[in-house]
Amino acid sequence: MTEAWIVVHDLDGGNALARSARALAERVVAVSVGAGGLADADLTLTVDAAPGALVEAYAQPVAALLAARGATVVAFAGDVRSRLLAGQVAAHLGVGPTNVAGVVSTAPLVVTRLAYGGLAVATDEITAPVAVLVLEPGAVTPSDVAGQGAVEPVDATPTAGLTLVETRPKGGEQVDLTAAKRVVGVGRGFAAEADLDLARAVANRLGAELACSRPISEGVGWMPAERYLGVSGATIKPDVYLAIGISGQIQHLVGVNHAKVIVAINKDKNAPIFQQADFGVVGDLYQVLPALVDAL
Amino acid sequence: MRIVACVKAAPEDSDIAVKPDRTLDLSRAQWKVGSYDLNAVEAARQVADQVGGEVIGLSVGSEGWSGSKLRKDVLSRGLDSLVVVPGDPDADSFQTASALAAAVGELGGCDLVLLGAGSSDRYAQQVGNQLGALLGRPTLNQVDAITVDGDHVRVERLLEDGVQVVDVPLPAVLSLTSGINTPRIAGMKDILAAGKKPVSEVAAAMPGASARVASLLAPEQVDRGRVVVEGDPAETAQQLAQFLTTL
Repeated sequence: MTEAWIVVHDLDGGNALARSARALAERVVAVSVGAGGLADADLTLTVDAAPGALVEAYAQPVAALLAARGATVVAFAGDVRSRLLAGQVAAHLGVGPTNVAGVVSTAPLVVTRLAYGGLAVATDEITAPVAVLVLEPGAVTPSDVAGQGAVEPVDATPTAGLTLVETRPKGGEQVDLTAAKRVVGVGRGFAAEADLDLARAVANRLGAELACSRPISEGVGWMPAERYLGVSGATIKPDVYLAIGISGQIQHLVGVNHAKVIVAINKDKNAPIFQQADFGVVGDLYQVLPALVDAL
Repeated sequence: MRIVACVKAAPEDSDIAVKPDRTLDLSRAQWKVGSYDLNAVEAARQVADQVGGEVIGLSVGSEGWSGSKLRKDVLSRGLDSLVVVPGDPDADSFQTASALAAAVGELGGCDLVLLGAGSSDRYAQQVGNQLGALLGRPTLNQVDAITVDGDHVRVERLLEDGVQVVDVPLPAVLSLTSGINTPRIAGMKDILAAGKKPVSEVAAAMPGASARVASLLAPEQVDRGRVVVEGDPAETAQQLAQFLTTL
């Protein structure tokens, strides 16, 4: 029976990863750092994380455990903590991790990953003795086969070093753009922060979430990082994406090109966004947006 | 304090052409330092200016550094020197991290290694994570603020659902967010000074790759309507509204 291992640190994310990992093998075995047993895995090796310890402090003992049990496929989720765990566990196992955008086959293990900011897709055949995979959102279709849910406690000693001082909630509002059915994205076509109200008015009419390109968030800071779309930001799959004043660089498009319909407003008729749009308006957003609000 | 800022020379995305068979034509692509790497250079410079010390740029892959323009560009942004490790720039994160780890040893160690969020070509976001494990040093990713406090740094780490404040003893390896700072634009004086800064090479062995690249192709284009209207704003807005309401 083929076996895929997963390493998790939270219950919900862990069970979701267990269902995804079933696309890789018949049996799913989890190592759970501080999150207890997973109903959706067949077996969970539970590590009691010390209170206040960072889950990443367990990378070395987890790698040793995986090696001792002969794991050959080990999957991680794509969140910040899991990514660090993946890189560190892989390094202790002497291999490089792969960020998986899709799985082509499991025997041999062939996966796809993005390259050059989304301009290209690389198809990799994993040749390392242990395949360490970071499953990006949507990389595989989760299974609905129930797990056996067995639990086996294991001992592990964290590596000393990092001290967690505190965890603060994030400032500002929380937003999940990935769940939005309609998204309006704003880019450098807007000359001033106050002008974003024009886009807000359209978003309100459409019942859409407001998002942006990277320069609007990390360049001028008009919108929080959670709202920027692209290769290093959020990836969305809405029914409609309306790009306003966004030229359509590949780094941005890779975050939105799974939208069912893409609509664009840009004053430059040669902007690359029009090549990727179902419907485009060439025009000055300062004139088109107020007219659009009236027309909606 | 001795700080190493890791940078990578990679082909500029916007110069990469896609051929009709979806393969990539990199022949006209200029080499460029990834924009996220510049966050590491900037953060390193800020720490060094604050507490005193030097900033060494460290890069695996010599191909992109052969011209003086790119070397000057990155040196003008705050590095004191640049060390290049000859090797395959297409190496995977474990190969790259292994070469960097060996090079850090060759350089006689350092107090802090900083890296950007990810390289512009692979964006695996894993070289720092792996480098830290190989060096056996405290390691964090998604670091959004750094304050030096004696023998450790206090960092803010951006998670999906919150911000961790973590004390990290030095020496350490930190990968930064792309929003931690705005990399400086070099002035004429910096660019002139950059030409005099030392550039050297350090040899380091690389392990084998963890995967065989079977193909590298532009993604298949989604078939889009590509209807484009132009003209009177009121009229085109009306057409757009109509299109949106039919969805």
